[in-house]
Amino acid sequence: MIEIRDVHKYFGKLEVLKGITNTINRGEVVVIIGPSGSGKSTLLRCLNMLEEPTKGEILIDGKPLNHKSVDINKVRQEVGMVFQHFNLFPHKKVIENITLAPIKVKKENPEEAREKALKLLERVGLKDKAECYPASLSGGQKQRVAIARALAMSPKIMLFDEPTSALDPEMIKEVLDVMKDLAQDGMTMVVVTHEMAFAREVGDRVIFMDEGVIVEEGTPEEIFENPKNQRTKEFLSKIL
Amino acid sequence: MKNLDFSIVIPYLQLFIRGSLVAIEITALAVLMGVIIGTFVGMGKMSKVFIIRAICTVYVEVIRGTPLLVQLLIFYFGLPQIIGYSLSEFPAAVIALGINSGGYVAEIVRGGILAVDKGQMEAARSLGMSYVQAMRYIILPQAFKKMIPPLGNEFITLLKNSSLATTIGFPELTRAAQVVAGNTYRPFEPYITAALFYLIMTLSFTQILGVVERRLAKSD
Repeated sequence: MIEIRDVHKYFGKLEVLKGITNTINRGEVVVIIGPSGSGKSTLLRCLNMLEEPTKGEILIDGKPLNHKSVDINKVRQEVGMVFQHFNLFPHKKVIENITLAPIKVKKENPEEAREKALKLLERVGLKDKAECYPASLSGGQKQRVAIARALAMSPKIMLFDEPTSALDPEMIKEVLDVMKDLAQDGMTMVVVTHEMAFAREVGDRVIFMDEGVIVEEGTPEEIFENPKNQRTKEFLSKIL
Repeated sequence: MKNLDFSIVIPYLQLFIRGSLVAIEITALAVLMGVIIGTFVGMGKMSKVFIIRAICTVYVEVIRGTPLLVQLLIFYFGLPQIIGYSLSEFPAAVIALGINSGGYVAEIVRGGILAVDKGQMEAARSLGMSYVQAMRYIILPQAFKKMIPPLGNEFITLLKNSSLATTIGFPELTRAAQVVAGNTYRPFEPYITAALFYLIMTLSFTQILGVVERRLAKSD
């Protein structure tokens, strides 16, 4: 479903991604872990072209993203993204945050979009917050709204960029539970996170990145119980 | 001090009031024009296309780097010589002030847009919105909120600058004071009166702006 072919990314002279090649299959939950500065967020952001690879290509369902013939706005409708800092629209109510893109981009009927949004809010347990402004929500609630907002476009793939890193500890679980629920529903997910328990429990595959390359990948058991690479071992020993 | 006599302006009050209203009218129209021009020029200054960026940058630099009075004189006296058609005083004043204001508003707009968190654009684009949609629905509404205090200052500056329209003979507030001074041979009282009128207008506007700002702050 997602093919990453020899992707390189430079920020100025700094090479952040040094040739990443990987394939992510439909329905798979891939968790990317690694120290900060390892390029994991950059790789994730390349998957919906928030960062354009300097070299190499990324194909989603066989279509190369950085090709002139591909309408990136169309591709992004199918690739939802959840950010570390939520990025809810502060001037819009919760319900409007969710319905705006379906109405303006997909030209959905406002009534139907609203119905769907309320269902999504129910799913993330926030139906009673529909008419609130984001500023009045807690971090965990904001992130759940952000997930509902991304889901409202009915994406085929969901990208999560450290979705719990900006949350107070007591709010992490409510967000992870929503993500777990999504994974069980068969959503294709790519998750950059420091939540190792989540990686172990929900991940189908774990990728360990360091210094712009994929150092090691495998099932959660393989990576967590029996890491082969020295750098993976060091990283895990520091955080577990 | 003994020969001060403000009663001499009373017969002319009508003139001062009409002059004030005209000053507000010119200013409001010019600010409106400035906001429209400034929005496009401000965004143009951030364009990826070099030629658009260059044109907008030159516009802002020329407007800010030359005196408003000279710009006004070019518009009213200079332009007819080139285009063979002369504008009357009111449109000339509005257009000159509006184009001038556009240069300053462009910088206000640019500042407002840059003050919106980068994540907002990313979130909007990641939902499939085009750049224009993201600007229209997400970035600009937030930017305008941040722009209200500096736009208020711009309005006040422009209101005071509208007095320059006197030089092209337009009957606004300063012109009214000149007329009264000429008729009565007493310049002090009418000019002080004009200054008072300007002060009343700017102070009231500052008050209104304060209310608006507090309202907007509530929804944050």
